[in-house]
Amino acid sequence: MDDMRIVERTVNTKASKISAKGVQVHYGATHALKDVDVEILENTVTAFIGPSGCGKSTFLRCLNRMNDTIPSCRVDGSITLDGENIYDPRVDPVRLRARVGMVFQKPNPFPKSIYDNVAYGPKIHGLARTKAELDEIVETSLRKAALWNEAKDRLASPGTGLSGGQQQRLCIARAIATSPEVLLMDEPCSALDPIATAQVEELIDELRASFSVVIVTHSMQQAARVSQKTAFFHLGNLVEYGETGQVFTTPQDPRTEAYITGRIG
Amino acid sequence: MTDAAVPTARPHRASLLADDARMKRRKAAETRFRLYGLSAIAVSLATLAIMLWTIFSDGVSAFYQAKLTFPVTLSSDLLDPMGNGNRDEMVKVTTVGYNKLLTRAFEAELAAKGIDTGELSNKDVNALISKDAAGDLRAMVLANPAVLDTTITAKMLAAGRIDGYLKGRVTMQTAERDGQISPEQLQFADRLIDAGILSSQWNWDFFTNPDASDQRPEAAGLGVAILGSLYLMILVAVMCVPVGVAASIYLEEFAPKNRWTDLIEVNISNLAAVPSIVYGILGLAIFINFMGFPQSSTLVGALVISLMVLPTIIIATRASIRAVPPSIRDAALGVGASKMQMVVHHVLPLAAPGILTGTILGLATALGETAPLLLIGMVAFVDNYPSAPVEGFLDPATALPVQVYGWAQRADPAFIERSSGAIIVLLAFLVVMNVAAIILRRKFERRW
Repeated sequence: MDDMRIVERTVNTKASKISAKGVQVHYGATHALKDVDVEILENTVTAFIGPSGCGKSTFLRCLNRMNDTIPSCRVDGSITLDGENIYDPRVDPVRLRARVGMVFQKPNPFPKSIYDNVAYGPKIHGLARTKAELDEIVETSLRKAALWNEAKDRLASPGTGLSGGQQQRLCIARAIATSPEVLLMDEPCSALDPIATAQVEELIDELRASFSVVIVTHSMQQAARVSQKTAFFHLGNLVEYGETGQVFTTPQDPRTEAYITGRIG
Repeated sequence: MTDAAVPTARPHRASLLADDARMKRRKAAETRFRLYGLSAIAVSLATLAIMLWTIFSDGVSAFYQAKLTFPVTLSSDLLDPMGNGNRDEMVKVTTVGYNKLLTRAFEAELAAKGIDTGELSNKDVNALISKDAAGDLRAMVLANPAVLDTTITAKMLAAGRIDGYLKGRVTMQTAERDGQISPEQLQFADRLIDAGILSSQWNWDFFTNPDASDQRPEAAGLGVAILGSLYLMILVAVMCVPVGVAASIYLEEFAPKNRWTDLIEVNISNLAAVPSIVYGILGLAIFINFMGFPQSSTLVGALVISLMVLPTIIIATRASIRAVPPSIRDAALGVGASKMQMVVHHVLPLAAPGILTGTILGLATALGETAPLLLIGMVAFVDNYPSAPVEGFLDPATALPVQVYGWAQRADPAFIERSSGAIIVLLAFLVVMNVAAIILRRKFERRW
C-alpha cells in the first residue's frame, strides 16, 4: 500500500450529492443498519469497507432502492439525492435507478449481444431518438468503460461470451449508458483476477470525472487505491467516515484501527 | 504443548493393495446399490417392451384392410332415374339401390373370371362385401355425379369376417361355430384371393372414417377421434397457456409473500393431484348442467381438461421462472427497468424453453386423458364429423383415448385390433409432442 499517495489524496469538492440521515434498515426482526449518516460528495469515489455482514452492501442498495425487491426489508430515516427524498412515496424507483446506476458483485450481463446489453438502458428510458444516437451512446459508454477496442468488432456477439473482467466492464458500460449521476458498485472486483481488477480500478478513477462513485469493497488496499472518502461499517454501525488518507493513517476509532491492522474482520 | 503429548506409537497401516474386511463390506454394499438401480431400469425396460410388443402385435393389422377390387358400371338407369344429373333427385336413390348395382357387378365379375361359387347362394356370395360398401359408393357418386355411366374399378371393403380371415383371426374352425360366416364362404374367399379380387391393402380409411356400428368393424376409423383430439388440443392450448403463464408470473414476480399466497400455492399443488374423474363430474355439473353447453362437445371437453392441466402448467412455468438467475433481475432493475419490463424483456425469454416444455408435456397428458371425457359424454357413438372451427367446437366429437376405450368394450374381436391400432396412433401423437418439447428446449435454451 502506497501510504504516501493516500495522504496526498484530496477531495476537490464540497458539493453533496447524496445525503443520508439516521438510516435504519430492518430485515424482518434483524436490525441490519443502525442510524447511519453519510454525505456522498460529487465527483468523488467513496469506499465502504468493513467485515462481512456489517451492512455496507445493504446501505449501498438503499441508495438506489434495490432493497425494495426484498419483501421483508424496511428502511427508515432519510436519504436525499440533490435534496429530494428518494423514499418519498411519489418517487418511482425506476427513475431513481436511471440516475443512480449500479454494478453488481458478480458480472451479470444479459444473455444478449454486447450492443443490446449497453443499449438496453437508453432504450427503455427513451434516451435515444434514432438508431444513430443509440449507436453513439453505446460507443461512448463502451469507450468510457475501456471496452470499446476489445468489443467494437463483436458488438453482435453475446455479452456472456466475454471474459470475466470484460463482462464486468460491460456491466459498467451498461450502467453508465443511462448517464447516471451516481454509480454504485458492490464489490465489483471480487470475481476478477488482479489484472482485470487493475483495469476496473483505473476505470473507476476515470469515471470520477463524470459521476460520484460509491464502491463497496473487502479489499482495504483497493479502498486505499481508488477512493477519496472511506466509510468503515461494523456490525450495522457506521464507525468512521472521513477522507481516505485520514481513515487509513490516523483512524479516530479503535475499531477502525483494529480492522485496518487486521485484528478484527 | 509438550513433547509428551505427541503420540509416539505409529498406528498399524494396512497395505493399500489388499482390502480389509471393512473395505470389502463397503465394496459389496456399493455393488449391491448399483445392481438395484440396474435391475430397476431392466424391469421398466422389460415392461415397456412387453407393452409395446402387445400393442403392436395386436394393432398393426388395423392399418391393413381386406378389399374387393372389381369393375362397377355406374349406370344412370339405376342411380339417376330422372336422367338429369340433378343431385337432389339422385339423393332419392338409397343404399339399397346402390347395393343392387354393386352385387350385380360383383356377380358379373365372378362370372367373367369364371370363379366357382360352389354351393353358395347369391346372398352368401354377396355377404363378402361389407355392408358399408354401398353407402361408400353412394357417397362417392353424390360427391361427383360426373362418374355416372362410366365404369370404375371399385375397391370395396370386404366384410369384417373376411378381413379377419386374411389376418388369421378367423379360421375354418371358428367359422363353423359362427353365424355370420361359413367355411364354404372362406373357401370361396381363397379362390377370390387367387383371382386377385380379394387382397389386403393399406388402410387410409382407418385414419379418416368415423366410428362404425358393431356389425361393421371393417368400416370403423379414427377420423372423428383424431379431429376431436386436435380440437381439444387447440382449445386447451388457447385456454391454458395465457392463463397459466399469467398466473405463474403474478405468483412468482408480483404477489406478496403472505398467508394468502401460501394458501394459493398449496391449493395449486392440491389441484394437480385431484383425480381426473373428479374434474369430469365438475365439468358435467357446471358446464353442461348449469351453463348449458352442448354435451359431447370438444368445447366442454377442453374446458374440463384445461382445469385439469392448468395446475401442472402453472407448476412447470413457476419452476422455470424461478430458475432464471436473480442476478438477471438485479441487472434489469439496476438499469432502471420497471418490473414489467424486467419480466417481459428478460425473465420470460429465459424461462420460455421451460415454459414450452412444461406446456407441451401438460398437453400430452391432456391428449391421453379419458376419464373426464367419459363423464361429459364424449364417449358417445359419433359418426358425423364435427364441422370446421369455430362452430365445430360445439359439435359432438370423440377423442383418441375415448375411442380406444369404446372399441375395447365391443364384443367383436375385430374391434380389439382397431383399439390397439388406435393406441398406436395415440402413442405416435405423444411421441411427436415429446420430441417437439425436446427440440424446442434445445433450440431456445440459452446459457448465462
